[in-house]
Amino acid sequence: MSDRNTTGVDPVLEAPLATEALTTQRRMSDAQTSASFGARLRHDLQFIRGRGALEISIVLALLLTGYIIASLISPTGFAFLNPNNLSGVISQAVPVLAILGLAAGILMIAGEFDLSLGANITLSAIVFIKTAESVNLWVAILAGILCGVIVALVNGAIVVYTRIPSFIATLGMSFFWMGAGIFINGTTPATLTTSRDETMVFLFAQDFGFFRSQLIWLIIIGVLAWLFLHRHRRGNHLFAVGGNPAAAEAISINPKRVKLMAFAIFGGLVGFASILIAVRTSSMQPGGSATEDFTLFAIAAAVVGGTSLWGGRGTVLGIIVGAALIELIRNGLLLAKAPGFYITLFVGVTIVIAAIFNKLMEGKAR
Amino acid sequence: MSALFALKGVTKKYGPNTVLNDVSFEIGKGEVVGLLGDNGAGKSTLVKIMSGVVQADQGDFTWDDAPVDKMNRDVTERLGVETIFQDSALVPFMTITRNIFMGREITNRLGFMKMKEMDSITAEVLDSVVTIEGIKSPKQLVASLSGGQAQAVAIARAVHFKRSLLILDEPTSALAVRATEALLNYLTHLKSEGVSSVLVTHNLHHAYQVCDRHIVMNHGRKILDVRREDTTVEELTAAVVEGAEGIRRYREGRF
Repeated sequence: MSDRNTTGVDPVLEAPLATEALTTQRRMSDAQTSASFGARLRHDLQFIRGRGALEISIVLALLLTGYIIASLISPTGFAFLNPNNLSGVISQAVPVLAILGLAAGILMIAGEFDLSLGANITLSAIVFIKTAESVNLWVAILAGILCGVIVALVNGAIVVYTRIPSFIATLGMSFFWMGAGIFINGTTPATLTTSRDETMVFLFAQDFGFFRSQLIWLIIIGVLAWLFLHRHRRGNHLFAVGGNPAAAEAISINPKRVKLMAFAIFGGLVGFASILIAVRTSSMQPGGSATEDFTLFAIAAAVVGGTSLWGGRGTVLGIIVGAALIELIRNGLLLAKAPGFYITLFVGVTIVIAAIFNKLMEGKAR
Repeated sequence: MSALFALKGVTKKYGPNTVLNDVSFEIGKGEVVGLLGDNGAGKSTLVKIMSGVVQADQGDFTWDDAPVDKMNRDVTERLGVETIFQDSALVPFMTITRNIFMGREITNRLGFMKMKEMDSITAEVLDSVVTIEGIKSPKQLVASLSGGQAQAVAIARAVHFKRSLLILDEPTSALAVRATEALLNYLTHLKSEGVSSVLVTHNLHHAYQVCDRHIVMNHGRKILDVRREDTTVEELTAAVVEGAEGIRRYREGRF
């Protein structure tokens, strides 16, 4: 991008007299509409590049093509195109991770992290299960989401008001929330029994042929997240605070309020994802490590999708593509019958490469 | 010239250190005031107090001759004070449009932004309010602008929103010579629009060139407050470098 604005002329600002300004015919709006199609396409591509969603989409497309070819050559050896596998990945695994990635990403855009994401899932799922068993589904949905919001807001308040780095504060709190799960439920798993009725399954874990409930939720949440992040003024403030808190404050945006809002949205999405997870698996083990992977995988989805580790950058589309990429890698390794640790190994490498790549992109945009 | 903003007896302590000690001055309407002083003289604390980010321990403020009870960010925003901090006025990875409308977005009733309207106003602003060479589109990221272009965008924002007092904190320190000239020209031009400005700088030549009045700070006190006609670059230099002693010696040597 840098080569576009240094076209031989030194960037100079002039203070024209009012009359001069009126006679200046260098109208930016004219320049835009009169540009050739090629120039506009190049501009649009660079626009996407600067935001980091283009390359990751290309990588995903290449990976998908490779998988499809491998699966066509050897339908049994690499059963990617098997309808069960395909629907399981695209319609179930990807949506849950993508929703968690959006949660983590929205918080990262505001310049914060929450490493208690996994513990939050466990606690919110337990609250959902217990409420569903003892009261009813609708109260349980509310309770599960509310639990996620409260957990995240407590973390957020600690981070925002004490100015402890969110890494440390939320890492510490993640042990607390894990313990809270055991405190309210004991060490035995919380299980959905009679309350897991048709309505509950229909809402959160139904298989409609290829589409499953989770994918429909991802589409709804994705559209809402896009509208919020990229089109709503509150979303705009999120980018401002994450990108340059001092500038935001100078223009009277309150960074603390905005960060707390980001934590609340994060918590709501995590609470919702925990319901999806609980309904599918029917149970949740308090204090268990089953959900802990989600913490890093969610952050990984955000980073792979072009979200900056330093705040201020990220896109809804990028994060969803990032989640898809991670789940596809995981699925591919499973299908190739690679040992389990390969998955963490590959995801680890992917995160680091993505982070380096993001850093390079940020340099390029300058 | 009637005063737009007056400070009286402003004092600020950080623990045992008195950063500002009984500072009083006025900023006239359409006046360009240079706020000068060495590092640690109290300039930045004064800027933060004037912009409402930091509260003074003591001191009275009047705006348009009406007393201001409490100085905070909400009040200064309402009064029309805009501070352009060095290097940090804009958010790099946001578009020019989003930076210009940051915190003051044009939205519908539900709070959704009218992007097209904001883009076209931005194009207008960049075409007419300040002419900035080399900017191609309002959708360009601020990260891709040079220091001079970015400062100009920040100033264009302040002008577009009809701010009445512009505080520029070391605006020229990161700029090339030509961009600095243009910025200083622009400050003089602002006067004709009735905008007052405070130029905080250690570059005395830049200040002397454009400011109507100079205020020199030294160890938290105001040691000099003169109109441009009544001083010289040499006197300002003496004041900044050697404090009150420097002013005395300069005047003795001269008279």
